[in-house]
Amino acid sequence: MADPSRGRSGGCCPPMDLMRSEEMQLVQVIVPIESSHLTISYLGDLGLLQFKDLNADKSPFQRTYANQIKRCGEMARKLRLFREQMTKAGISSAAMADTWTHVDFDDLEIKLGELEAELVEVNANNEKLQRTYNELLEYKLVLQKTGEFFYSAQSSATAQQREIGAHQVGIGSLESPLLEQEMSSDPSKQVKLGFMCGLVPKEKSMAFERILFRATRGNVYLKQVQIDEPVTDPVSGEKVAKNVFVVFYSGERAKIKILKICEAFGANRYPFTEDFGKQMQMTEEVSGRITELKTTIDIGLLHRDNILKNIAHQFEQWNHLVRREKSIFHTLNMLSLDVTKKCLVGEGWCPVFATSQIQDALQRATFDSNSQVGSIFQVLQTGELPPTYFQTNKFTTAFQEIVDAYGVAKYQEANPGVFTIITFPFLFAVMFGDWGHGLCLLVATLLLIIREKKLSSQKLGDIMEMTFGGRYVILMMSVFSIYTGLIYNEFFSVPFELFGPSAYACRDASCRDATTEGLIKARRTYPFGVDPKWHGTRSELPFLNSLKMKMSILLGVAQMNLGIFLSYFNAKFFGNSINIWYQFVPQLIFLNSLFGYLSLLIIVKWCTGSKADLYHVMIYMFLSPTDELGENALFPGQKMLQLVLLALALISVPWMLFPKPFLLKKQHQERHQGQAYTMLHGNDNSLEVEDNGAHDHEEFEFSEVFVHQLIHTIEFVLGAVSNTASYLRLWALSLAHSELSTVFYEKVLLLAWGFNNVFILIIGFVVFIFATIGVLLVMETLSAFLHALRLHWVEFQNKFYEGDGYKFAPFSFTLLSAEDD
Amino acid sequence: MGFWSTTLIFFLAGVVASLSLRLCCNRGPSTNLFHLTLIITATVCCWMMWAIVYLAQMNPLIVPVLNGEK
Repeated sequence: MADPSRGRSGGCCPPMDLMRSEEMQLVQVIVPIESSHLTISYLGDLGLLQFKDLNADKSPFQRTYANQIKRCGEMARKLRLFREQMTKAGISSAAMADTWTHVDFDDLEIKLGELEAELVEVNANNEKLQRTYNELLEYKLVLQKTGEFFYSAQSSATAQQREIGAHQVGIGSLESPLLEQEMSSDPSKQVKLGFMCGLVPKEKSMAFERILFRATRGNVYLKQVQIDEPVTDPVSGEKVAKNVFVVFYSGERAKIKILKICEAFGANRYPFTEDFGKQMQMTEEVSGRITELKTTIDIGLLHRDNILKNIAHQFEQWNHLVRREKSIFHTLNMLSLDVTKKCLVGEGWCPVFATSQIQDALQRATFDSNSQVGSIFQVLQTGELPPTYFQTNKFTTAFQEIVDAYGVAKYQEANPGVFTIITFPFLFAVMFGDWGHGLCLLVATLLLIIREKKLSSQKLGDIMEMTFGGRYVILMMSVFSIYTGLIYNEFFSVPFELFGPSAYACRDASCRDATTEGLIKARRTYPFGVDPKWHGTRSELPFLNSLKMKMSILLGVAQMNLGIFLSYFNAKFFGNSINIWYQFVPQLIFLNSLFGYLSLLIIVKWCTGSKADLYHVMIYMFLSPTDELGENALFPGQKMLQLVLLALALISVPWMLFPKPFLLKKQHQERHQGQAYTMLHGNDNSLEVEDNGAHDHEEFEFSEVFVHQLIHTIEFVLGAVSNTASYLRLWALSLAHSELSTVFYEKVLLLAWGFNNVFILIIGFVVFIFATIGVLLVMETLSAFLHALRLHWVEFQNKFYEGDGYKFAPFSFTLLSAEDD
Repeated sequence: MGFWSTTLIFFLAGVVASLSLRLCCNRGPSTNLFHLTLIITATVCCWMMWAIVYLAQMNPLIVPVLNGEK
């Protein structure tokens, strides 16, 4: 922008959409502090101004609006909490209402605080109740199981006692154990055993038992009963499979040990009495409390759901508002505070066309905020490189993204995106030529485009999102595939005689030598595409390989030439005649004297039907250029032409390499000197001169420039060969595609057809469909896409594209909502 | 349908397409130029593809040899 001849309307050609990035300017906005918030908000609605961070040296905490950002963060946290609770409760937030009820920021903060406190309290209460409830449930289980255990133990004990009694009656029995006799006969010696019962998680029960056993040296009796259904643990609230245990011990020390072990294992203990009456009473009591608690909990949950539903109603709006406020304060923090502390000064980039819109927004903000003083908007002069901004629409966006993925264009550099829109799908289609497959792709992408409105509003999966984003790319790809499919004459690998009769016929009526000598060209050339007769013949592959290989080279040379011409437009645009004469011209000559000549030979060979060997011609053009061509001569004067071209190619290499660095050096010195003199004149625009001066005072490192040029030259010279070879991927992939589809058609569909069995035919058909979709329509599309991508990024763009710019990132609320979550 | 006549058809198709686009959506000179560039590029690509295949079959060096009894 410092140099007006560079900025305005460029040098050469009429302006074209998308060819050059929008003209940008650095602007300064001075806003009185009372209207600053509204101003930023209006600018965010407009979304055409990218603020520069003027407080980059300050930490986030030192900035003017750090406090407000903290408040926003706090509110966002509350909203996240609500969202979490809502998803837990299965309540979805209502879609954003069209009518905006205006909510004040401060009011919202208070409201959110209140709601959060209420929600937290309700939740805490509920949790407490739930915990008690779960405890009671566990207690009930313990009562039940332990009760059963005690009951059975007691009944077996009485049975045993009775048995012993019976034994005692019949003395004389030798088997009667002495010890038992003693025990039962001497009740005074019985030790009073203590016991404890509770629940222990099932997976820990084994370890629990072992530890208990060890700690008490075996002086313990543990009984565990498994519970069929997992119970909710009161502490963690998770469903856990548990065992009811009863442990008998003797002595106070053992009790303490057991208590500790229980604690360590997370075993919940519950009181229990041996008395049956009391047990019954407790069970009843517990059941009563359980039902009571249940109703309380239900009421609590209902209450909470009501709160959440109320929140859900306005959630999106609040969320939007908070995010918006946060971004506003964030932007305000990038502005610097004036010394008088009465206004904020902001700097930023905006497209030139947006000037009036921005001024209008500033005026509206001043008016709406009843500010006494208006905002000031002024354009600054700078030598800094502005950001790159392309105005794309829904069709061109995806193509521009393909280019941007490689590198964002330098400011106002020729944009390969313009040509990519056509050449990318075209090169894709060269590799994907089958009009049946093209039609399938077309139908799929049309479905996406028809439902565009619906799909763009909803959230899609990763892959789907990508496909949807590139729907217009796929549309173009499919349209071109249909075209190239017609040229290749392949419909799921089947040829059709759509454009008249085949050019080939048998040599004679008997058609005897059709399988040995081949057919003969009897009519005019098939008017559109590959002759259908070729399909399935023995000479099909040699013919198609030769054709596609040559086609790849021709297309490649054409595209590379386009790239070199774009470098001409770039040089012209930036007024850089050095680049035209010492880069563009020798590059053009070099490429065309080698590969342009090869293309010429190919075409001449086709036109004349000559049998010359092109490899031989090309190789011996370098090895022994003075030799006679002999039978490989295609046209008179070819040898002379070759010598000239070879000389041109040899000259153009040093032409590319040497003059440019020296000229740059000279240019630099001249500018340096000239400036030293002009400095004295201009006092009025000293600022600008200073600015320019700072820019030009950079040291001119000749060696660096020279090495750079050397690398550039070597890259181009070697690249001319390797890039041309790289275009052969067009041939390889298109061959792979047609061979694969032939295999699927012949080896699956026709084979199944041959069996004359409906069942096998159906299976064959299904396999064919899946193979076609999976391999040809998905995998092949991807691989052809990637190869087309590479041909554009490397072979095409390295001829002219710098791609070292940075993208225009305006402060905009619409972008904000797009990048949420 | 020889080489030149079909080439003429391609040319006319390109002209018709660019004229109709110009008439249908005339959105200022820079957009029109953009559209024109797109159409020219597309026409040239399609024509090249066709021309290459046509030329390659004009004077065949190899002819289809039928695949006899397998």
